[in-house]
Amino acid sequence: MKKLLAMLLVVLVTTSILFAAGAAEKTVATEKPVTLKVANYALLESGYEQFWKNVKVGFEAQNPNITIEWVTAPYGEIVNQVVNMAGGGDKVDVIFGEIDWVPGLVDTGLAAPIRDILPPEFVNDFYPDVLKSFEVNGQPYGIPLYVSPYVLYYNKDLFKQAGLDPNTPPKTYTEMLSYAEKLSKLKDANGNKVYAFGQTTASVPVSGASLNAMVFNFGGQVLDAQGKLSVDNQGFKDAISMVQLLDQKGYNPQNAKLKDLRNLFALGQLAMYYDQSWGFNGVKSINAKAVDFTASAEPLKGGSGSGESLLQAHCFILMDNGKARTAALSKFVQYVISTDVLNDYLRDLTPAYPAKNSMASMESVVNNGILKGASPAAGRVRVQTFIPQISTLNLELCSLAQAVTVGKQDVSSAIEKFKASATVKISQ
Amino acid sequence: MKPKPLSSKRSDTLFSLLLDLPAFLLLLSFIVVPIVDSVIKSFQAYGVKNIITKKPGVWNDFANYLYLFKTDDFVGATLHTFSFVIGVVLVQFLLAILLALILNSNIRGARFMRSVMMTPWVVPTVISALIWMWLFQPQYGLLKYLVSLVTFGHLSDFAILNNPSTALTGVGVAALWKQIPLMTLLLLAGLQNVPQDISEAAMIDGAGKIRRFFSIILPYLSPVIKVSVSMSIIENFKQFPLFWTMTGGGPNNSTTTLAVLSYREAFVGMNLGSGAAITTLWMLMMIAVIFGYNKLFRVQEM
Amino acid sequence: MKTTMKSDSKLFSFFKYAALAVILLFLLFPLYWVLITAFKTNMEAYRYPPTFFPRHPVLTSFLSLFHENNQFFVYYKNNIIVSSFVALLCCVVAIFSGYSLARFRHRWNTWFFALLLASQMFPVISRMISLYSIMGKLGIINTLGGLSLALLAAQAPFCIILMSSFFAGIPKEIEEAAYVDGAGRWRILFSIVTPLVKSGLVAVGIYAFLMTWDDYLHAATLIQADMKRTLSVGIALRYLGELSYDWSLVNTISIVGTIPVVLLFFFFQKYMIKGLVAGAVKG
Repeated sequence: MKKLLAMLLVVLVTTSILFAAGAAEKTVATEKPVTLKVANYALLESGYEQFWKNVKVGFEAQNPNITIEWVTAPYGEIVNQVVNMAGGGDKVDVIFGEIDWVPGLVDTGLAAPIRDILPPEFVNDFYPDVLKSFEVNGQPYGIPLYVSPYVLYYNKDLFKQAGLDPNTPPKTYTEMLSYAEKLSKLKDANGNKVYAFGQTTASVPVSGASLNAMVFNFGGQVLDAQGKLSVDNQGFKDAISMVQLLDQKGYNPQNAKLKDLRNLFALGQLAMYYDQSWGFNGVKSINAKAVDFTASAEPLKGGSGSGESLLQAHCFILMDNGKARTAALSKFVQYVISTDVLNDYLRDLTPAYPAKNSMASMESVVNNGILKGASPAAGRVRVQTFIPQISTLNLELCSLAQAVTVGKQDVSSAIEKFKASATVKISQ
Repeated sequence: MKPKPLSSKRSDTLFSLLLDLPAFLLLLSFIVVPIVDSVIKSFQAYGVKNIITKKPGVWNDFANYLYLFKTDDFVGATLHTFSFVIGVVLVQFLLAILLALILNSNIRGARFMRSVMMTPWVVPTVISALIWMWLFQPQYGLLKYLVSLVTFGHLSDFAILNNPSTALTGVGVAALWKQIPLMTLLLLAGLQNVPQDISEAAMIDGAGKIRRFFSIILPYLSPVIKVSVSMSIIENFKQFPLFWTMTGGGPNNSTTTLAVLSYREAFVGMNLGSGAAITTLWMLMMIAVIFGYNKLFRVQEM
Repeated sequence: MKTTMKSDSKLFSFFKYAALAVILLFLLFPLYWVLITAFKTNMEAYRYPPTFFPRHPVLTSFLSLFHENNQFFVYYKNNIIVSSFVALLCCVVAIFSGYSLARFRHRWNTWFFALLLASQMFPVISRMISLYSIMGKLGIINTLGGLSLALLAAQAPFCIILMSSFFAGIPKEIEEAAYVDGAGRWRILFSIVTPLVKSGLVAVGIYAFLMTWDDYLHAATLIQADMKRTLSVGIALRYLGELSYDWSLVNTISIVGTIPVVLLFFFFQKYMIKGLVAGAVKG
């Protein structure tokens, strides 16, 4: 009996310790102070953690009655996390994320129109074209910190080795192919193969977005303005054929994620590749010397297309948690999206373009060597129609790309299969 | 307390129910209720929106199930799941019994080797996925190097996870790596339970090695085999983290199993209703498989 | 057994050792590879052909784990707390229900046993969303305690069945004798029967510990605060970022994250092996 009692005691004590932690945290809400819950995956990415910690310190110093509470989850999980929390009655105030997350969060009823929360003079300072990319039913549902088209990064050293001019990157896919032929003959210092051109095709939604951008390069489309699947256009077929050709020639690393491409590029084993502008931070984290050989260019033109690209943005998606919290939220958003806070960040961590007039002449943007070549492209982005199933559609695009590359299927029949499957899935 | 006969049925039952109570409550609230809930949701139009607005789902005339059969994803995922389970369990069993027999054959250092070989089993699944991704890495992975060495450079771009026809095998290798040790351990212990005199008696009779194995050792092992194989079937049927970390279901959906498909549908596509429809069918299949497996064994025992 | 050795033909013996070597290589070489990668710089790790011994072994990754990436140790601590708690409670629950199942045969227990068997087959994914709202209502979401209970429910069925196979091996006569001596039911269970299944209990405890240590899906869904995350999720979240891989660090983490379970296992392996095996043989 004694043993039993002792055991029960141990269990009781441990239990109370375990649950106490949970209980203690709930007794924060007193009168004035406001706690903002900010869902932010970037705190888990080593390159960005310090920046966001400084944001918290700086903002709280300016607003002593507001406390920032981070809600973190990995990039791929944070939307679920926010949704799950809301389902359990715990809504965050804002999520830092990708433009592609907007339609899903609007569909769930979580995202609030930004004009309901932010003052008009702040919102109106943003480029109208950029804000348009965030619209659902005529209302913008997210506010960008900065934007980027897909950028063509290339390795100047490899260009030189292949006898190409490092200052004239290819402008069209045809040019790129002739460059690639020379580049693919190179070997790196260890005698490894050099891939000529990287386009991500692995099964993650962001790869689908990147493929979508490639379709835009060729003047094609995936969805029409009403959000219906519309792939019977030459541009779409050309883009998919190009993905296949790149694979057949062995130019493109198979089934790669963006981070795989960044790795290869950083090591000098990949000559050109498409990435979001901030992907360069990943390159740099592997090889700090990459700054010396990296240059950027506009997305390539293909077929009858004009090299349009897809707008990518890191943005805040806001949620309405009552007056006190939205007021604090408005302050937070205005604090972050400002020259003071973002200048160093955009210079050192995340090469990208500002999204509003008053930031256009920021020192870090004007003098950004890495992004100089790609600058004109920022004005040639196309708005993707938002549908709630955008992630599913993007994954289908990845499957299509894999079917024509590693799956060895021919383009027309793979597209037919994609059409059948995607139509069902986005009508769900 | 006065001694009373143990067989007082009613108080026995009450006492036993009292003992069952904690576990029962746990299972009820953390397993039964959520499962039943998910089965109900599989018949409803239930999306993430419903969770947030707290609106109950609406009956939608089996639309979630019909939807599954409109594309070939579900059938494909079922096939992948079954090939994965059958392949991994079979190879695992063969290698494990081979290793167990060798370790049981009185070789030097068997005890030490038995301890050391258990290490992969305790490596967390997520970490073992990472280890194999690193070995399989398509550009600078060790396997690529070894394969090109062995084939004298003929196969210099070996990337098992990038090829739709080999990717499932790649994940299977990682699963085998983690699971072989436990099965070996169980089989080995089963072997050590085979009474020595019986095995030796058979030797005097002149029974050959192979005959001795099939007619004497195997029957003794049969209960251990039954349990360890069924554990392995269940584990591989449910396998998720390996796939999610290593391939995410690609390339070209060749590693999309029921686990990946349901997770993708429910948590990436945010369509909980059809995600639940997949898990419901998945559960039914699993129950059918285990049921059939037990039947098979029962028949053999007779 | 000596005679067996002699009767082995040379060829057979060669085959035996070759097979042993191949399988052990398969099981152990990846661990060596992880170990040496942890001591390489990233630039060396990405070298092809790979180096089989680090050319310039560095402790960079280990140092960075201790200095910059020390959030890792918060995950680590949480994982230890949760795993120990689950292991402990699992033992208690397994004693209760395992004994009940082994000793008392009645209709309810048949059903209970079926429930235990069935609940091992349910995929975790289908439980997650409902679980979230249920635990939200109970106010135990985002607490290590809540996570532990959910994990306890997941581990308990196997542990109970394992434990009941141990209890089944204890002759009933021992209990009858104790009864005659005037011992109550609880005393019989805790001071007479339970000590007889000690090794099984250790096996159950360690098994529960290892399985909880391995958990990913529960913690990923039920915990949001970084300070409360456990190991697998912490690793996947923090060190497998979208931006890039840091393979040296990942390999270092793999090593450090595996060491405690390896030690635990080797320390208790006698019980563990005996327990798992006995359970499997009798179950």
